[in-house]
Amino acid sequence: MSKYFLIAASNLRRAKGQTTAIVALIVLASAMLNLWMMLSMDYKRNFDRYHEKLNAEHVTLALSSRSEELMDFVAETLEKDERTMEFIMEDALCIVGSFAYNEGEVNTEFVILEKETALNRVIGRIEIVEEGICTGGVYLPMLYGMDGNISPGDRIEINIGSNTLEYTVCGFFNSIMAGSHNCSMSALLLTEDLYEELEEKGYAPASTLVSVRIRESGESEDFEAMLKNTVSSRFPEVRTQSNSYTMVSASRYISQMICSGVVSAMAFFVTVIALVVIASNVIQDIQENMRSLGALKAIGYRSGQIIGALLLQFSGVAVLASLAGIGVSYCLFPTVNTMMISQTGIPYEIHFLPVPFGLTVCAIGGTVTLAVWLSARRIRRIDPVIALRHGVSTHNFKRNHVPLGETWMPLHLALAMKTTLSGVKQNVTVCITMLVLSLVVVFSGLMVENVIVNMDPFINLIVGETADSCINVDAAAEAEFLRMMETEDSVEKVYLYHSEEVTHGDGDGIVLIATMSEDFSKVNNQDVCFQGRFPRYDNEVALAAKYAGEKNLKIGDEITLRAQGQGQKYLICGFTQISSNLGKDCLLTREGYARMGTPENLSYYVNLEPGTDIEVFHERISSRLGRDVNATINVRSTIDGSSAVYVSLMKILVAVVLVLAGAVVVFVLYLLVRTMLNSKTGDYGIMKALGYTTGGLILQMAVSFMPAVILSCGVGLALCAGIINPLTALFLHGIGIVKCTFIVPVDFIAVTGVGLVSFTFGTACLLSLKIRKISPVTLLSGE
Amino acid sequence: MHRKAGIPFMKNVLLQTEALSKSFSNGGVLQHVLKNIDLQLYEGDFTVIMGASGAGKSTLLYALSGMDTPSLGKITFGKEIISELNSDDLAVFRRRSCGFVFQQIYLIDGMSVMDNVLAAGLLVNRDKKVLVRRAEELLLAVDIPEEAWKKFPAQLSGGEAQRVGIVRALINSPRILFADEPTGALNSKTGLDVLDTLSRFNGQGQSVVMVTHDMRSARRGNRILYLRDGAVLGECDLGTYVHGDRGRHEKLSAFLEEMGW
Repeated sequence: MSKYFLIAASNLRRAKGQTTAIVALIVLASAMLNLWMMLSMDYKRNFDRYHEKLNAEHVTLALSSRSEELMDFVAETLEKDERTMEFIMEDALCIVGSFAYNEGEVNTEFVILEKETALNRVIGRIEIVEEGICTGGVYLPMLYGMDGNISPGDRIEINIGSNTLEYTVCGFFNSIMAGSHNCSMSALLLTEDLYEELEEKGYAPASTLVSVRIRESGESEDFEAMLKNTVSSRFPEVRTQSNSYTMVSASRYISQMICSGVVSAMAFFVTVIALVVIASNVIQDIQENMRSLGALKAIGYRSGQIIGALLLQFSGVAVLASLAGIGVSYCLFPTVNTMMISQTGIPYEIHFLPVPFGLTVCAIGGTVTLAVWLSARRIRRIDPVIALRHGVSTHNFKRNHVPLGETWMPLHLALAMKTTLSGVKQNVTVCITMLVLSLVVVFSGLMVENVIVNMDPFINLIVGETADSCINVDAAAEAEFLRMMETEDSVEKVYLYHSEEVTHGDGDGIVLIATMSEDFSKVNNQDVCFQGRFPRYDNEVALAAKYAGEKNLKIGDEITLRAQGQGQKYLICGFTQISSNLGKDCLLTREGYARMGTPENLSYYVNLEPGTDIEVFHERISSRLGRDVNATINVRSTIDGSSAVYVSLMKILVAVVLVLAGAVVVFVLYLLVRTMLNSKTGDYGIMKALGYTTGGLILQMAVSFMPAVILSCGVGLALCAGIINPLTALFLHGIGIVKCTFIVPVDFIAVTGVGLVSFTFGTACLLSLKIRKISPVTLLSGE
Repeated sequence: MHRKAGIPFMKNVLLQTEALSKSFSNGGVLQHVLKNIDLQLYEGDFTVIMGASGAGKSTLLYALSGMDTPSLGKITFGKEIISELNSDDLAVFRRRSCGFVFQQIYLIDGMSVMDNVLAAGLLVNRDKKVLVRRAEELLLAVDIPEEAWKKFPAQLSGGEAQRVGIVRALINSPRILFADEPTGALNSKTGLDVLDTLSRFNGQGQSVVMVTHDMRSARRGNRILYLRDGAVLGECDLGTYVHGDRGRHEKLSAFLEEMGW
C-alpha cells in the first residue's frame, strides 16, 4: 500500500495547480449535489413533520353557513366514514378578499378565525412565530412576513367583498393547511374584539370550518371529494371551499421543486464537466509523464500498481473535496433555507442529513474512480522502452496541420490553429464544457425572458389563463354587464371564463374544476390546449393531460361529468396542460356546462387598453352594477403579488447559475492552460528564442481554444434553443406540463453567447500570462 | 602568439560590450558569472568562445544575443543599446538580427521541417512566396532533400535536424549567428557536416559566434576567445579557415595550453 501512497504523493506534489482546480470543481459539484439532495429528500418531508407536530388536518372544508342541521349532517357523515380519525368544527368568517403584498396583491379565500380559538385548536394547531406589542389587530401567515415588507406594528388594508378594513399587524403564524395563498384558502387571525366587530358588521358570511384528520393521508383527495359532494348534494345553497393534504403539500413546494430541479441540473452538469476534466487530465498526465511511467515499469512496478496509485490519488482527492463541498453546502444552506421559507411559508430547522451526505460522497467518489480507471487503463498497454523514449516512437507520422507555407492565415493564427488541431483531448473537454454551459445560458435566457422580464408566459403555463381583470357578476345581471362592457372604451376584449366544480366518475367521483367559455378562440392562452382542440360543441370536453394520464383517458374517449345532481356524457376532444388544482381540471363550452346545470354567477375575463387603471375600472363597474358585482379581481396585481416570490427566486437562480458557469469556465480553462503550458514549455522557450513576443504567444494560446469554444458554443446555443422548451416540459412533467411554449430570447442568448466566448477568451489570456515566466534562457543546458 | 582583447583594424564592430557583468543568486549567495567584460565582435568573423565548464561561455553567448539581460554593463548592437531593451523589444531584436543554433537543436516537435523554418521566417518576412523560396534554397544548400521537408523532427537524423536548425537560424538573414555547442549532441561524422555548413556560410560573409569546448569545432573560427571565471582571459587569431591546414591546430593547441586548458 505504501507504494501506492508513494506514487500518489509524488503525483500530487508535481501537479499542485491542477489538483487545486480539480478540487474546486469537485467542491462545486458536491456542494450542489448535497444541496439538491437535502432540498429534494428532506425539505418536503419537513411538511409532514410540521403536519404531525401541529396535528394538522388532512381535509379542510369551509362552509358558508352555521346552521345546526348542516353541522349535524357533516358530523354524521364524518362519523359514519371509517377513514375519519378525528374532526372539529368551529366558527369562522369565510370570504374572498385581498391585501397588498410584494408590490401586487394577495387574492384568495380568507378563513378568518378568532385568535385565541385558533391557537387552542386541537386539530390544525396554529403557532405564532413572530409577535409585536399589540393589543388588537390581525395575525397573518408567516409567508407574508418573510420579505420584510410587512412587519408587526404595520397597518394593513384588507379588502373583503366591497369593504376595506384596516388593521394593525400583530404578528405572524404558521398554519400548515391555510398558511399560504396557494392552499386554496388562507387563514387570518383577528383578536377577539376585532373578530366580534367584523362578525357584527356582516361583511363576511358566518361560516363553519370543518377540519378532518383521516387515517391514510394518501386518501385525502378522495375524502375531500366525498365530503364536498355529500354536503353540496344535501345543501346546494351552501358555498364550499376546501383543500386536501395532497393538494397543499404539492402546491406549497412548487418553488422548492423548481429550485432543487435547477440545482440538480447544475450539479449534474458540473459533475460531468469535472469528470471530463479529470479523465482528460489523467490521459494528459500519462502522456506527459511517459518517461516516469517507463521508469516505474522498468524498475518493476506493475501496471495495476501504477493505475492503483492514480485511483488512490484522484479518488482520495475527490472524497476529501466532496467532504469540503458538503461543508460548503451547509454554509450555503441557511441562505437557501431563508429563500425557501419565503416560498413555502413553513419553518425549516437546518440539521445534519446523513443520507444526502453518504450519497454525495459515494456518487462523487464512485464516478471519479470510474472516470480515472477508464482513462488510466491505457497504462497497461505502455511498453517501458517506448515510455522511456518519452512515448515517441522512432517513426512518427502524424499530420502536419496548417502548413505555414500554404495557409492564408496570419502567422499567429496559423500557429494557434496548429495547436487546436493537434489537441483532440483539449477540444473534447472544451466542447463538452461549452455545450453544457450553452444549456445553462439558454435556460437562464428562458427564465429571464419568461419569468423575470415578463411573467406572463410562466403564469400562462402554471395558471393557464390570465387577463387584466376578472369580474364576477350575478347571472341575472350578465346582459347588463355585457352591455356596459360594450360601452367601455378601455375594454379591449371581454370573454366568459368561469369555473365551477364538476364530478367525474361514479360514486363520490373526483372533483374537477370545469372552466367554461362561450368561445375558446377568445382566450389569451391558446397554447394551453396542446393536443387535440378546445371544445366547440356542447358534448365536448378538453381534459387536463395530467388527470387524463392518471385515469388513462385518451382523446375520443367518453366520460361522464356531474354537476348540480345532473350527469352528462362528454367526448374528450383535447388535452390541456393546466396544472392548477393538481391537474384536476377540464374545459367545457357554456352550452356544455348548461346540460348539467346553470351557474348562479359568472366570471368574465377582461383585457384592457394599455395604461388603463384597473382599480378605477373596477370602481366604475361596481358603482354602476352595484351589488350585482360579486367580486372584482385585479388579475395583474394578483399575479404580481403571488409571482414576486418566483421572480426573486429566478433572479437568484439565474445569477447563481451564470456565476457558476463563469467559475466552471475558469477552472476548466485553468486546467487546460496549465496542461498545455506543461507540455509546451519547451516549444514556447524555443519560440521566444526565435523572437516571438510574450503577447504573441499568449494570443496564440488563447486563440487555440477559440475554434472549439466558438463552434461548441454556437452549436450548443442553437441546439439548446431548439430543445429547451421540450426539455423544460420534461422537467415540469411532474406538475402536468406537457408542452412548453416559452419565448426563446434569441437576442439574450446571442449576447450572452458572445459574452461567454469573450469571457472564455479573456480568461484564457489571463491564465496564459504564465508564458511571461518562460524565458528562452531556460533552454540553457548548463555550461 | 596571443594578445588581450583589442580592436583590430579594418573590421566593422558588430556588437560590443562595456563592463558586462552577470550575477545569479544561488541560495542567497550572489555568484558573479560574468565580470566586467569589454568586448567587440566584428562583422564577418567566426568567433569561438572557449573555456572550461562553468567559465560563463553560454551565459556570455545568451547575454550577447539578447536572450538574457546583463546584471550590469552595456551591450551595443550597431547603434542600438540592447541591454536596455525590455523583453518584447529584445524578442524583436532577436528575430531581426540574430540566428540561433542550439546544442539540443530544439526544433519544434509538432511542426514539419518546412514549418520549423517558416515559423521563424514569417516573424520577419511577410512575403510568403519569397520566404518559402529562400527556405527551399537554404534547405537544399544544407543537403536536406525536398522529400524531408514535410517530415517531423523525430523522423530526422541528428545531423539532418541540426542542419535544419541552421537553416532556421539563417532564414531571416541575421546579422549574427549564435551557436551554442552545435555539435555537442551529434556523432563525429554528422558534427563535421554541421561544422562544414557553418564554415560555408561564414565563408559567404555570415558572422558567427560559437560556444564550444571541442577543439575540432574551435578550429573553424578565425578568432578564439578564452573565458575563465567569467572574464576573457585571452584571445587568439587563427586567420581565415582553410580546410586541412594543420598549422591552425598547432596554433590553437598552443594558445589553449597557454590559457591553462
